Amino acid sequence: MNDKNKIIKQTFQKVFDDLEVVLGWKQGFDSLHMTPAFIRKASDLDQLVFNPQCVQNLSGYLFSTLKAADPEKQGKIGICVKGCDSRSLTALIQEGLVERDRVYIVGIPCEGVVDVKKLRNLKPSLTEISGITIEADEVVIEADGKTERFPIADVLAHKCLQCRYPNPLIYDALIGEPVTARVAQDAARPAVEQLDALSLEARRNFWLTEMDRCIRCYACRNACPMCVCQDSCIAETRSPKWLSQRSDISEKFLFHMIRTVHLAGRCTECGECMRVCPVDIPVTLLMEKMNCIVKELFDYEAGIDPESKPPLQTYDSSKTGI
Amino acid sequence: MENLQQNSTEEQKIRIIGFLCNWCSYGGADTAGVCRFKQPTDLRIIRIPCTGRMDPMFAIKALINGADGVLVSGCHPNDCHYSVGNFYARRRMEALKRFLPFVGIDTQRFHYTWVSASEGQVWQQVVTEFTEKIHQLGPNPGFHINPDIQQPLSLAL
Repeated sequence: MNDKNKIIKQTFQKVFDDLEVVLGWKQGFDSLHMTPAFIRKASDLDQLVFNPQCVQNLSGYLFSTLKAADPEKQGKIGICVKGCDSRSLTALIQEGLVERDRVYIVGIPCEGVVDVKKLRNLKPSLTEISGITIEADEVVIEADGKTERFPIADVLAHKCLQCRYPNPLIYDALIGEPVTARVAQDAARPAVEQLDALSLEARRNFWLTEMDRCIRCYACRNACPMCVCQDSCIAETRSPKWLSQRSDISEKFLFHMIRTVHLAGRCTECGECMRVCPVDIPVTLLMEKMNCIVKELFDYEAGIDPESKPPLQTYDSSKTGI
Repeated sequence: MENLQQNSTEEQKIRIIGFLCNWCSYGGADTAGVCRFKQPTDLRIIRIPCTGRMDPMFAIKALINGADGVLVSGCHPNDCHYSVGNFYARRRMEALKRFLPFVGIDTQRFHYTWVSASEGQVWQQVVTEFTEKIHQLGPNPGFHINPDIQQPLSLAL
């Protein structure tokens, strides 16, 4: 693992003069949490790390970082991406929200990241973590002087268990060797299938129960790399007034439907919305279902090909097609 | 007017929202009216400039807030006043129609179709069939009350 950190550092050092800022991960407030790092001085590159605790999708910062960058300099932004993050980045390029030549992408093949909430529930007493590694279907956690093994399903994030793109799809430099995907290209999404198997009534009740918890903190929207409207989001505008301030389930539900509809054919399933949700609503499932539909209708997946156009931003002019 | 009042008995309090394109279906509905074709009275029509204006959120907001059905109708493909508005709409409506059951809304409560300004009779048929279907389905339960399920579903996340 240390090797990877060194190579990441060296890769950025070589090109650092052309870069305005480097987006990576660094150690957070404790040994369990990693946090996004914005590095502007070459001497700070030592802070960069990569391990299965680097959960954040840094592509989400790209749009705002580019907007805040000095327009005169036209400097590049260095960014570290995992497989899933690279899809978000590609999707941003597809929609012309990020220019390819303004970013220097360091791709890191990834075997999965931990779900901090799952880990906390599993081992509430964990304090000093010295290393987490992923071996085939087990996660090895070295902590407090002991080594423990857990099945991946108990520790890894939901998105990682059904990850089909562990290797970055777009990069300027690749760190380490590509890894093989855990599931097949056409593998089903188990949670979506589980819901699909229920009756209409049961599905409605499931979502009503989940949505009732929503506190409309908008963390899912703020963490989403594709929710680029941010403060201009129609969930908060007064004109048109889509949502009121009422705390009714229907209002909460409507907010999540806004996200689902606006991300149709754009979501790359990076799972950030679900990770940041303070009340554990499986928000990603809505997008996952929508993605299944988009795949079925248009044979399209977001964030794969930087040249292709999202299907809902174009049309088919045949008489009977969709 | 008498007819309207007779129709709105307790069991028939059904509200259907129709989003009609200004250029075709709105004209088609008008034609049906001018020709005095008999139509059910549960439909409330909202005129939109083109089905391309039809934000899927219009349908969702109506359905979540208790409309019993949503009907979208516009120009036939290749006949759009703005050339391509209905092509965009077609994709969005189809994706929406397939998505609704996932959140527990019966997909039959949402219908999109194409009716031109001269097709008064087709319009009459569309409205009659859709209204009948909604009457069969009954009122929309809406999304307001937490069902308080004793054993919540555990998902394979």
